[in-house]
Amino acid sequence: MTNLFNAIAGWGVNIAIAMTALRTNLMRSILTTLGVMIGVFSVILAVAVGNGAQVSVTQQIATLGSNMAIVVPQPDSGSGPPRSTDRGRLTERDGQAILRQVSGVSAVAPQIRSSVQLVTPGRSATTQATGATPEYGDVSNITASEGRFLSDSDVGAAARVVVIGQTVADKLFADANPVGETVRINRVPFKVIGLLESKGSNLGNDNDDQIVVPITTLRQRLLTTATQGPDDVTLLFVGFIDEESLLLGQQEIKRMLRDRYRVPKGRISPFTVRTTTEIAETTGQVTQIFQAVLVAIASISLLVGGIGIMNIMLVSVTERTREIGLRMALGAKRSDIRNQFLVEAAVLCVIGGAIGLTLALVAAAIFQKVADFPAPVGLDTALLSVAFSAIIGILFGGYPAIRASRLSPIEALRSE
Amino acid sequence: MTAPLLETHNLVKDYVIGGEVLHAVNSVSLTIKRGEFVAIMGASGSGKSTFMNMIGCLDVPTSGTLLLDGIDTKTLDSDALAEIRNRKIGFVFQQFNLLARTSALDNVAVPLIYAGLGYSERRDRAQAKLEAMGLGNRLQNTPAKLSGGQQQRVAIARALVTNPLMLLADEPTGALDTQTSLDIMGIFQKLNDEGITLIVVTHEPDIAEYAARRIVFRDGQVIEDAAVKSRRQAVAG
Repeated sequence: MTNLFNAIAGWGVNIAIAMTALRTNLMRSILTTLGVMIGVFSVILAVAVGNGAQVSVTQQIATLGSNMAIVVPQPDSGSGPPRSTDRGRLTERDGQAILRQVSGVSAVAPQIRSSVQLVTPGRSATTQATGATPEYGDVSNITASEGRFLSDSDVGAAARVVVIGQTVADKLFADANPVGETVRINRVPFKVIGLLESKGSNLGNDNDDQIVVPITTLRQRLLTTATQGPDDVTLLFVGFIDEESLLLGQQEIKRMLRDRYRVPKGRISPFTVRTTTEIAETTGQVTQIFQAVLVAIASISLLVGGIGIMNIMLVSVTERTREIGLRMALGAKRSDIRNQFLVEAAVLCVIGGAIGLTLALVAAAIFQKVADFPAPVGLDTALLSVAFSAIIGILFGGYPAIRASRLSPIEALRSE
Repeated sequence: MTAPLLETHNLVKDYVIGGEVLHAVNSVSLTIKRGEFVAIMGASGSGKSTFMNMIGCLDVPTSGTLLLDGIDTKTLDSDALAEIRNRKIGFVFQQFNLLARTSALDNVAVPLIYAGLGYSERRDRAQAKLEAMGLGNRLQNTPAKLSGGQQQRVAIARALVTNPLMLLADEPTGALDTQTSLDIMGIFQKLNDEGITLIVVTHEPDIAEYAARRIVFRDGQVIEDAAVKSRRQAVAG
């Protein structure tokens, strides 16, 4: 026990010696610390932003709904952007066929999407309108938090009713309850029947900036350009009962569409069928690479900070060679000298790391507030970064410290 | 307790400079007993400082034997040598070698850090030694705020703080004026009267006359080793 106590006390002495030495060259110490501080700051922020991107992606996938396939009349462009010129046709009848013929399908939600302008007395907003059926709500987990969602009779009658998102409601009605009010969409009066449940925003994409109207109404009253056929749709959401039928169903839908449109063998199908799982995976991979690149770049600055520490420690050892000789003459062992300089480097790094961590926490909080982008810094990240900066200190302070401890007492004492 | 404090047999230290071997210390055999007050004299380059560094365990002999308190130093590793320097030897240097920007108290306490003592004991023992040197009112002064004589007394307090067997002083008065030199020699004589062994390296003949025994080096060898005939007495200041 006394040995342990002495060991701890011994380190305490080293810390005291280190603090004195660092205070003696205060400006130099601060500048050296700055390197580590910036390094730790950028690494933590990079991790936080990367984490935030992943959280966003997960949320976005969750808002899409699980066990769902999305069918678009465009050839599969892999991971590249879709080529709009290749856009083919997709109809409500295709959707009905999928519901009838593909096993495990729980619902099909045909949609037409169009940009529209909304006006209330004194206010206006531009947003995306989704022309849909009640199935849209079931498949993609959309419900009304106030009023009600679309009904079959709304669709059958092509009723001029609209369910609006929170952002749109704020723009058009401020704090007033919009349900029951009238809004003009592309100059056509519509009755607001419900408010969509808020889904927040992720990656700068506001999920509440949209409205839903019956697909029939949108087709008859709001489309500015005529569609090729009377029941053309922009895309289909296909809901499945479970994940297994989703995987089988994805292939079945592809086959079925080829047959229905008589796509010759060897030709690329003009349809893309994506599952939410695939979308989650692709975006997940992209954000992971994004995070890795960020952290790698940030790590370079930490490395530069570490080299700065090594440089200053080498200078410090050279400047204090005589002091090292004196301490050896007074009874310091090689390990005492080595530890003294190791502790000095570690103290520099830990102080830098702690300040860097604090600044990163502040920056992450500001980022979250201003950019509305989650940048969570976990306790593990915080502890890891401080431990990491101590390790940097020991690694880069190690060489100068060992060099100091290897000095011959008499050579060191004689130096000027 | 029967072994002499210091015994050397054919002690040699060679330096190789520009391909030529220089015998800085060339086969020196002598014995120093407990309680002696020895002055080591010689011109610059005579080998007296090299000899001093070896008996202070700061430098390693090329060949020969050095017995310190009965222990053959050849058998010791660098840690054990550090411990001997810490426990058995106190060093006093010409340029005092105090840590700058560090209080007298903390300077004196440095050897006790390496002896593994706790904070309060270090402080108490350092304070006691400084008070014994008449510096009780200068505990918190940094070297810059002390005169040369006061600095050397802080250095002596530091050398004594681990209660060593012997004090090794290398030109301890070289940086001091005549009166202050006299004070320091008086302190040495008083300490010697109290039983501590003193070995002082000097090139000044009158400083050597405060010692009881004089050893003269030339070209790495002892050319004279005798008792001081008309020993001077300094009144401790």
